[in-house]
Amino acid sequence: MAMFARSSLLRQSLATRSPLLQRNVGVSQMVAFHASARKQILPPLPQEIKGTPDYPRIVNDPAPIPESHPSEGSYHWSFERLVCLGLVPLTLAPFAAGSLNPVMDAVLCSLIVAHSHIGFQAAIIDYFRPQRVPKFSSFLHWLLRGFTLTTAVGLYEFETNDVGLTEGLRRIWKA
Amino acid sequence: MASLRTTSRLFAARPMFRPATFARSYATVDTNSSEQPKMKTFKIYRWNPDQPSEKPQMQSYDLDLNKTGPMMLDALIRIKNELDPTLTFRRSCREGICGSCAMNIDGVNTLACLCRIPTETSQESRIYPLPHTYVVKDLVPDLTHFYKQYKSIKPYLQRDTPSPDGLEYRQSPEDRKKLDGLYECILCACCSTSCPSYWWNSEEYLGPAILLQSYRWLADSRDEKTAERKQALDNSMSVYRCHTILNCTRTCPKGLNPGRAIAEVKKMLAT
Repeated sequence: MAMFARSSLLRQSLATRSPLLQRNVGVSQMVAFHASARKQILPPLPQEIKGTPDYPRIVNDPAPIPESHPSEGSYHWSFERLVCLGLVPLTLAPFAAGSLNPVMDAVLCSLIVAHSHIGFQAAIIDYFRPQRVPKFSSFLHWLLRGFTLTTAVGLYEFETNDVGLTEGLRRIWKA
Repeated sequence: MASLRTTSRLFAARPMFRPATFARSYATVDTNSSEQPKMKTFKIYRWNPDQPSEKPQMQSYDLDLNKTGPMMLDALIRIKNELDPTLTFRRSCREGICGSCAMNIDGVNTLACLCRIPTETSQESRIYPLPHTYVVKDLVPDLTHFYKQYKSIKPYLQRDTPSPDGLEYRQSPEDRKKLDGLYECILCACCSTSCPSYWWNSEEYLGPAILLQSYRWLADSRDEKTAERKQALDNSMSVYRCHTILNCTRTCPKGLNPGRAIAEVKKMLAT
């Protein structure tokens, strides 16, 4: 095999007439590899294989199944999809019909609040894992709850004491 | 051996009957020496665990495409055989059925044995290990957690009732048809490692490959533990970190559709 390799290498170098006759041909330069910026945000930790309590680093055990909660999983997903679907006609209706029904306005506002809360919640779960940053993760969740509550109260005030969301948007548009 | 190799050129018009010795390790192409060499640069990610303090590097190798087989794996094997025996990668079947040679070639996760070398020689090819994996060496990723997750979905037939005839578990052709597009998955991890959600949350999110396998057992008419399987998936992390990015479907070297399988899993869980 070595003979074969050498001979084919020789043929290649003769054919190309490039400086391939030297040893270690083709292995020209080594370039420093930069996968990312020097300052990484949340760099990955060293690999950790989780096993059973008796054998903490055993590799043949199945990965643990995350705990389920009634408000998470499929109910949460179905609720999210229903909110998304509901928002489509509710957003289009004021444009089409120009209705200023306060009930419709209230439903639209509550769906917007729920929709944005679920969306930001997904972002926090995705990017700030409790295993990696436990305190910051829960802080962000509470911050989001605070923002959602503030938005809901603000929209309620706007609806009850002012012109309401759709009419407000219409006035800004026409201004 | 070298002389045998030379005589094989006499049969260049009938390459199918070339003695097997020459095609055993990789495909080579016989050419007459008058042809212009087509030199192409391959830049390959290198990292050696024996020098852990050294940073990973990109090392370039030049190959004549006229003397290399058509696929990326041919180029890699040729580099390992002739240029640098320290280059490390996994490979086995060289025909896209084992899933060993999954790597990131020119920015796409694919199997090196199914990926043609781009004939454009002016542009270099860049080869990396699968993204966001712990690297064992060079192009070899650590897939331990991937396999542990596969094990956690219990990828085998679970039944309590024996079959009526005591011989085998029968299935109608329609039920069998539901498994088409699922059973072909070779677990190469190309799709899972292309999924941004799996990059961030691989500890708990199962990823497209494992979810496709989950659906393969959920859809199986012979399996009787569908409720238990659904219960195990019904949490915020296992399935619902999928945000329908569909990198999985785009990258699958076998042309499967893990994104659709995950959608079916979500539908099954919702009802």
